[in-house]
Amino acid sequence: MNNFKGNILIVDDEKGLRLGTKRLLEEEGYNVTAAENGTEGLQFGTNKDFDVAVIDLKMPDIDGLEVLKEIKSVHPNTVCFIATAFASYETAIQATRIGAFGYIPKPFSPEEFIYQVEQGLKQRKLILDAHRLELEREKNLLELANEKSRLNAIIKSISEGIIIINTNGDLAYYNYAAIKLLSINNIQIGEKILDKLPVHVTDIVKKIFQSDKIMLKSYTTEFSLDADNELFLEAACTPIPNPDGSLAGVVIILSNITGYKRIEIIKNQFVSMVAHELKTPLAAVQGFLNIIMDQSIKLSPDKQHDYIQRSTLRLKSLTDLVNDLLDISRFEMKTKEREIIEVHLEEIICSTLQMLELELNKKGITVEKNIEIKLPFIKADINEIARMVTNLLSNAIKYNKEKGKIFIDISSSKNYVVLKVRDTGIGLKPDEKQKLFSEFYRAKNDMTRGISGTGLGLSIVKRIVDSYFGFIEVESDYGVGTTFLIKLPINPN
Amino acid sequence: MALIAIIDDDPDILDASSLVLKSKGHDVITANNPNDGYKIVKGKKPDLIILDVMMDEPDDGFYLAQKFRKEGITIPILMYTSVSKAIGLDFGKSEMVPVDDFVEKPISPEELVNKVESLLKVKEVK
Repeated sequence: MNNFKGNILIVDDEKGLRLGTKRLLEEEGYNVTAAENGTEGLQFGTNKDFDVAVIDLKMPDIDGLEVLKEIKSVHPNTVCFIATAFASYETAIQATRIGAFGYIPKPFSPEEFIYQVEQGLKQRKLILDAHRLELEREKNLLELANEKSRLNAIIKSISEGIIIINTNGDLAYYNYAAIKLLSINNIQIGEKILDKLPVHVTDIVKKIFQSDKIMLKSYTTEFSLDADNELFLEAACTPIPNPDGSLAGVVIILSNITGYKRIEIIKNQFVSMVAHELKTPLAAVQGFLNIIMDQSIKLSPDKQHDYIQRSTLRLKSLTDLVNDLLDISRFEMKTKEREIIEVHLEEIICSTLQMLELELNKKGITVEKNIEIKLPFIKADINEIARMVTNLLSNAIKYNKEKGKIFIDISSSKNYVVLKVRDTGIGLKPDEKQKLFSEFYRAKNDMTRGISGTGLGLSIVKRIVDSYFGFIEVESDYGVGTTFLIKLPINPN
Repeated sequence: MALIAIIDDDPDILDASSLVLKSKGHDVITANNPNDGYKIVKGKKPDLIILDVMMDEPDDGFYLAQKFRKEGITIPILMYTSVSKAIGLDFGKSEMVPVDDFVEKPISPEELVNKVESLLKVKEVK
C-alpha cells in the first residue's frame, strides 16, 4: 500500500455492504478492518486506535451505539460514524451526544461514503494535532513551572543579597541573604522599603527613579553598616525596564566585600612598609655620598673609606632585602615549580653550617648536634628546606652572644621530623615573641642594636613551614636564649 | 649658630646628617632611640629637633613629638623620615602631627641645611 491514508474499521452485520465498503475503501488506499457483528467490532475497536470507525446502528448482538460508546471510552480520538437505514432525528442526536462525529444514512452512494470517511479523517487529523499541541503545551507549562522553582531555589541559596523594588518604592522581591547582610527583619513583599535600606543604597535608587532616561548599567556603592567596619558591603543597583522602555523597578545586588577590603588594607600596609624599608638604606647611602662629594666638608681619607664601606654594607643589605621580597612574592604567587624529592634534614644542616662557618668562627660560636640515627627522609623541595635552615641558623648566630652555643636536635615521630634549634643568645621579650613572624618585624632593644637584617627571615621560614603543613613554635627567655621548634610532615601529601 | 638634636634609629643617617650640620658650624647632639632622644632634649634644650618617625620603636617619632608639645616644649621640630605619604598620613594637616616641617628621606645636604636654617629664623622671629 503505497499511498496509506488511514486505518478504518467497518462494523456491519450485512455481509454485502461490509465487503463492498471494505473493497471500496481499500481501492482508495485505506487500510480496512471489517467486523461482522457488534461483539467483533467492539473487540477490534477497543484493541486498536482506528482513525475512523463506521458502525452500523442495528446489529443482532450489540447495539451500534453501545459499540460506539465502548470504543470511545478506550480510544476517544477514533472518529466514529453511525450508519443506519433507520434514520431518525432522535438517534442522530443520541449518537452525537455519545461521541459520534457523523451520521451516514443508508443507503449511500460510494462517493457519499468516501466523502464522509475523508471528512472523518480530516477530523481525526485535527483531533490528533490538537491533542499533540495540548500535550506540548502541558509539557512546556510544566517546564516553565520547574524553571521558575529552579530559579527561585538558586536565587534563594546564593550568598549575594537580592532586593527588587518597583517604581512605587514597594518591595517586589528579596532573598534571605539580603535581609541577613543588611540585618533587617520583618520586611514583606509589597511594603514600602526605601526607608529600611542603607542611605547609600536609597540615594542611588532615588537617583535612578528620578532620571529621565534609563541607562542600562549598574550603579555601585561600597559601605559599612557597623562602626567597627567589620562588614563591608557592595551594592550594585540596576534599573529594570518595561517592554515599552519605561522604568519597572530597580534590582539591588548586595555582596559582602569584607574579605577584599581586608586584603586591600594589608596590601597597602605592606607596600608602605616595603617603601620604608627600601628608602631607609637608600637615604643612608645617599647621605654618605653627599658628604663625600661635598667640597665644603673636609673628610680624612680614613673617614671617607669608612663611609664608603658602610654604604657598601647598606647596599648589600638592600640587595638581601630585595631578594627576600622576591622570595616572599614567589611563595605567594606560587610561580616557582616545586621539585619534591626525598630530603635528608641532617645533610642540609651540615652543608648550611659549612656555609656559615665564617660567621660562626667570627663570634666564636660552637654547635652541638644531636641527631636521631635512621632519621627518615622528608618529601620536600630541597631549596626551600635549605632556605628555612639557613634563615634559622643565621639568626641563631646573629642573635647569639660572643662564644655562645647553638644546639641542633633532630628527631622523628610517626608522621613528622622535628627540628629544634636552640641558641644562647639575647632571647625575646613576650611581646616581641608575638610579632616575630610578621614581615619587617625585628626585635629592637639595647641588645639588638648593630645587628642587621631584613626583618623578613622568620616570616619566610614560617611561610615555608606552613606551605608543607608543618608547625613552628618559639620558646624564649629574654637574655637567656631562644628555641625554635619546627615539625615537618614526612610526607606532606 | 645653633644646637641641634637629631633623633634617628639609623646610625648611618645619624652620622651623615650630623656631619652636614656640623660643617655649617652647628653643634649637634644625637640619640638613636626615642628614650634617649627625650632625655637629650630635656637635658640640653636644643634650638631645633630633627626627628625620625622610627616606625619600629614602640614610642615612635610621632608619639615623641606629641609628648614634647604636651610638655610645653615649643622647639621647632623637623620631621625627617622615609615613611612616604603612601602610608596614609596626610602631613599637610598638621593637627595630628605637631611638627613644624616634614621632609622625606633621602634629602640633599643643601635642602637639609636650608630647612634647618629657615626653621631657626622663624624661631628667632618668634
